[in-house]
Amino acid sequence: MIHDAQMDYYGTRLATCSSDRSVKIFDVRNGGQILIADLRGHEGPVWQVAWAHPMYGNILASCSYDRKVIIWREENGTWEKSHEHAGHDSSVNSVCWAPHDYGLILACGSSDGAISLLTYTGEGQWEVKKINNAHTIGCNAVSWAPAVVPGSLIDQPSGQKPNYIKRFASGGCDNLIKLWKEEEDGQWKEEQKLEAHSDWVRDVAWAPSIGLPTSTIASCSQDGRVFIWTCDDASSNTWSPKLLHKFNDVVWHVSWSITANILAVSGGDNKVTLWKESVDGQWVCISDVNKGQGSVSASVTEGQQNEQ
Amino acid sequence: MGKTRTTSGEGRERQRLPARRFRTTSPAALRADSVDGGSLLAPLLGLTDQAFSDCPDLADGAMEKMSRVTTALGGSVLTGRTMHCHLDAPANAISVCRDAAQVVVAGRSIFKIYAIEEEQFVEKLNLRVGRKPSLNLSCADVVWHQMDENLLATAATNGVVVTWNLGRPSRNKQDQLFTEHKRTVNKVCFHPTEAHVLLSGSQDGFMKCFDLRRKDSVSTFSGEATEAGPREWAMAGWVPVLPVLSCRILRLHHSFAHGPMQDAESTANDARESWGCPLYPLGLCSGPQAGQSESVRDVQFSIRDYFTFASTFENGNVQLWDIRRPDRCERMFTAHNGPVFCCDWHPEDRGWLATGGRDKMVKVWDMTTHRAKEMHCVQTIASVARVKWRPECRHHLATCSMMVDHNIYVWDVRRPFVPAAMFEEHRDVTTGIAWRHPHDPSFLLSGSKDSSLCQHLFRDASQPVERANPEGLCYGLFGDLAFAAKESLVAAESGRKPYTGDRRHPIFFKRKLDPAEPFAGLASSALSVFETEPGGGGMRWFVDTAERYALAGRPLAELCDHNAKVARELGRNQVAQTWTMLRIIYCSPGLVPTANLNHSVGKGGSCGLPLMNSFNLKDMAPGLGSETRLDRSKGDARSDTVLLDSSATLITNEDNEETEGSDVPADYLLGDVEGEEDELYLLDPEHAHPEDPECVLPQEAFPLRHEIVDTPPGPEHLQDKADSPHVSGSEADVASLAPVDSSFSLLSVSHALYDSRLPPDFFGVLVRDMLHFYAEQGDVQMAVSVLIVLGERVRKDIDEQTQEHWYTSYIDLLQRFRLWNVSNEVVKLSTSRAVSCLNQASTTLHVNCSHCKRPMSSRGWVCDRCHRCASMCAVCHHVVKGLFVWCQGCSHGGHLQHIMKWLEGSSHCPAGCGHLCEYS
Repeated sequence: MIHDAQMDYYGTRLATCSSDRSVKIFDVRNGGQILIADLRGHEGPVWQVAWAHPMYGNILASCSYDRKVIIWREENGTWEKSHEHAGHDSSVNSVCWAPHDYGLILACGSSDGAISLLTYTGEGQWEVKKINNAHTIGCNAVSWAPAVVPGSLIDQPSGQKPNYIKRFASGGCDNLIKLWKEEEDGQWKEEQKLEAHSDWVRDVAWAPSIGLPTSTIASCSQDGRVFIWTCDDASSNTWSPKLLHKFNDVVWHVSWSITANILAVSGGDNKVTLWKESVDGQWVCISDVNKGQGSVSASVTEGQQNEQ
Repeated sequence: MGKTRTTSGEGRERQRLPARRFRTTSPAALRADSVDGGSLLAPLLGLTDQAFSDCPDLADGAMEKMSRVTTALGGSVLTGRTMHCHLDAPANAISVCRDAAQVVVAGRSIFKIYAIEEEQFVEKLNLRVGRKPSLNLSCADVVWHQMDENLLATAATNGVVVTWNLGRPSRNKQDQLFTEHKRTVNKVCFHPTEAHVLLSGSQDGFMKCFDLRRKDSVSTFSGEATEAGPREWAMAGWVPVLPVLSCRILRLHHSFAHGPMQDAESTANDARESWGCPLYPLGLCSGPQAGQSESVRDVQFSIRDYFTFASTFENGNVQLWDIRRPDRCERMFTAHNGPVFCCDWHPEDRGWLATGGRDKMVKVWDMTTHRAKEMHCVQTIASVARVKWRPECRHHLATCSMMVDHNIYVWDVRRPFVPAAMFEEHRDVTTGIAWRHPHDPSFLLSGSKDSSLCQHLFRDASQPVERANPEGLCYGLFGDLAFAAKESLVAAESGRKPYTGDRRHPIFFKRKLDPAEPFAGLASSALSVFETEPGGGGMRWFVDTAERYALAGRPLAELCDHNAKVARELGRNQVAQTWTMLRIIYCSPGLVPTANLNHSVGKGGSCGLPLMNSFNLKDMAPGLGSETRLDRSKGDARSDTVLLDSSATLITNEDNEETEGSDVPADYLLGDVEGEEDELYLLDPEHAHPEDPECVLPQEAFPLRHEIVDTPPGPEHLQDKADSPHVSGSEADVASLAPVDSSFSLLSVSHALYDSRLPPDFFGVLVRDMLHFYAEQGDVQMAVSVLIVLGERVRKDIDEQTQEHWYTSYIDLLQRFRLWNVSNEVVKLSTSRAVSCLNQASTTLHVNCSHCKRPMSSRGWVCDRCHRCASMCAVCHHVVKGLFVWCQGCSHGGHLQHIMKWLEGSSHCPAGCGHLCEYS
């Protein structure tokens, strides 16, 4: 059973991971599908995979029920295990790479309730920071905020590394979404607790900030509800939820389109729906992608094309 | 109480099985049948009647041949909750009484019976009596007889098998003592229906069958298969037995190699025996059997086949024995890679045997076929110490591991990677598991090294399968969706048209995990990629637009028209409209000069650029370094040289137009395009002139006017070049490379010039809102494009941060789509410093010495190794830091301008080598 499928940065390769312990990479250019690599190394079902930004090379992270996170790297066309992180006491459910501006940082959420952050320090070394008890019972999803620099870029002397504020969101079995922020001393601190779901939070997705003045997070839960959280005022850091829809079944995934204006939602009923915010701020379903019935329908493309 | 079946309310997870059919056979028939079977058990069989009378409600453990009692679980309900109690010592094994109300816990220093009550465990009896507990009480295994509630057997780590009779009036319940094994007894097992038959398996490699009415074993089975000659060899690659001596040494190694896996004590036993006893002939030490064999880890009587039992060995083998034939095993096969620690017969499916090994696998074998056939294979995450089929659930079994992992898992064998349930109560290795009642799937008991005894309720277990995400979803770059979903869900909707035939998602594949796997139907996925409609093209519009938009290098009106056309062709009518409106707003005839000015501003003060560039190309671009100063100082000293130099520059420029198409021609673009524009758009033909004063401005800094004169020459070539984004991009290159201050000063001047002629900022607000609208729609491309094209006109209306944000977002997007050229152009054209410096951030030049070919390590231009200056100019004898032109014939070269100038006057190499160089 495939648990996750992720396209790489350029949309040319697709990585999938499965219960059978395998991680597979397909070349999906030109509509084909060629199996490039079958990565074996996990000893349990692999829950999630994540591509790192290509500026660091071809790097894929995978997390598994076997409590391990493996970072794979392609070197001269062959994929090999480059690092193995075994710092969790229970199944690792989610991995997510930080925006490339921060360097190679991987956030891992585990069923042991902890979130660990692996930072590449060069020469094959990874530094581990761990947030214990991030979510009681377990953490199901992590998602990084896009890179945002405090204040204006203009005052930054060129060449100096801007002082980014690193943030990410996590969702867990305590029905909460938590926002984490890196303090100046490098420690991670809980910044915000978003409460609206009545059951396990299954996925959180921080929207890419393409042209949007606001920060947006989508979350979905076991309770069938999908919320869109927005924060208009970065200084006060108040987030307001808006119910996108209440589904009849568990909602497993939310995924933003590249321009963050369309949200894809997949639920237990095996359906993918696409949602778009209308002019009056309401989220409307613009398409159904149904197993039996087909694809992203005409309305999507229309929507994108005409920018209505 | 006791033999009860849970009510329907109990445990929603419970599987409902169809009403079971029971075959009734009279005891007489059974006896006759059995007697036919063999002579050895004849004395035992005489007791069959008694056995039946003793155990009227023998439950699922009964053999098929026996009559079964249907009332086994009738009546009251088995109740309880998840609970645990602390033991005084680590447990090694547990066993449940058939009444499902008592459990016995055995360990090295514990041997107690607990009553399982509603809310708690209550200690009922301590069987460890006497002042000086003997080694006989150090239990490796314990088993409670499934027919006689008073009968227990334990296996001691010193090799003794003890039976216990709870019916004895004295405090010491010990009944019989069998001291036939030489080493730790790993396992004891009662015959499921014969009250007096006990089987033991030991580390010494032997299995012994005891009749409890006798003092010694009835028969001994050797794990070694030397003379066995089984009728069929299940595994072809079986290795012939080694000579006694080497075999023994081998085993010694073996025990060390597997040391950690074993009970510490048994390892000690191994060692003691192996070293303590000299290697005398084994015939002496092993009694009736000759030969040595692998340690036995588990023995289990078949539940269905009266005479059959299975044994597992440390070398990975499983043997099947007929109890009447101790001379040889019926069948042997290699089940696991490494020791097989446990096995369990399926309570219902005849001949199904589950085995668990150190290789972290549980395998289910069908023993009824000619060869043992592997039916299922479950992969766990640690070595498997115990395996127990779950009652009433045909495909479920529980396992616990020998080390590392403290949890107990219940697996559905058809779903071999994710456990169906997980019990996480224990803090140390779980050593014993037992289902509380053979017909109840909800209650599991376990003992652990953490000195606790637990009752687990299946209902309370965490269910990783439920937590497992059955779907994967990913939004692709081009607006396509990758979606993996559980097959069974798909199957449920099979009434629908199969999606593979749907025209709307031309790509991708339907893939089963592995169609050969038996669990394919249960847990496999289909992966599909949905493409947006053909024609719609997902994000294709973005790529096309990015590639085709003209952002600079032409007058505003033309840019707007061009972009409007592009948008229209791509079917983006709203965008096209916007461009057209922008043109109307900013390029209406009355505002022509403004338009023109803006155009120039948009290009970063291009009026002054030809000048800047000539200066730049020669000196600045290479390194902004000392040489500039050098040249300039030279120029000051010899003004004629400077003049020459700059004229050379001009020549260069013109030449470049024809030859290289490098940065230079762009400088002329302005003038040329303006000329062109005049014809095209009927703009004021005089428009260029008001700007002339502007162009003069920089001349104060650099006293040359040649450009102005020279500009007109090349309109013919330039027009075609104006279309290429490369050309327009190069202008910005200058803007960013040149001292920013000077270009800014230009900008501000021009700004002041046209400002007075601008209409009120009426449009500014409108355009700003429009840009924000596009940005929020996710079309940051439009926002940035308009920003670049309109340049100064709108910049002031939008705060810097937003602009920067748009820029960076757009650049990110472009890079994702691998539109490097466009991205580069945008970076160059951006007015924000933070953005334009992006281009300089990540370029590294590696310089090698031209003489010794080694990398230049130091910062200077002198090679550390050969102490020579790299790449000297043959004309001026200075180091060339920028463009170096060299003759392929004689390999001499130098500054582009210098060489060109030289070659105008002479056709010989400036280095004096005599080569006739040709500049082409």
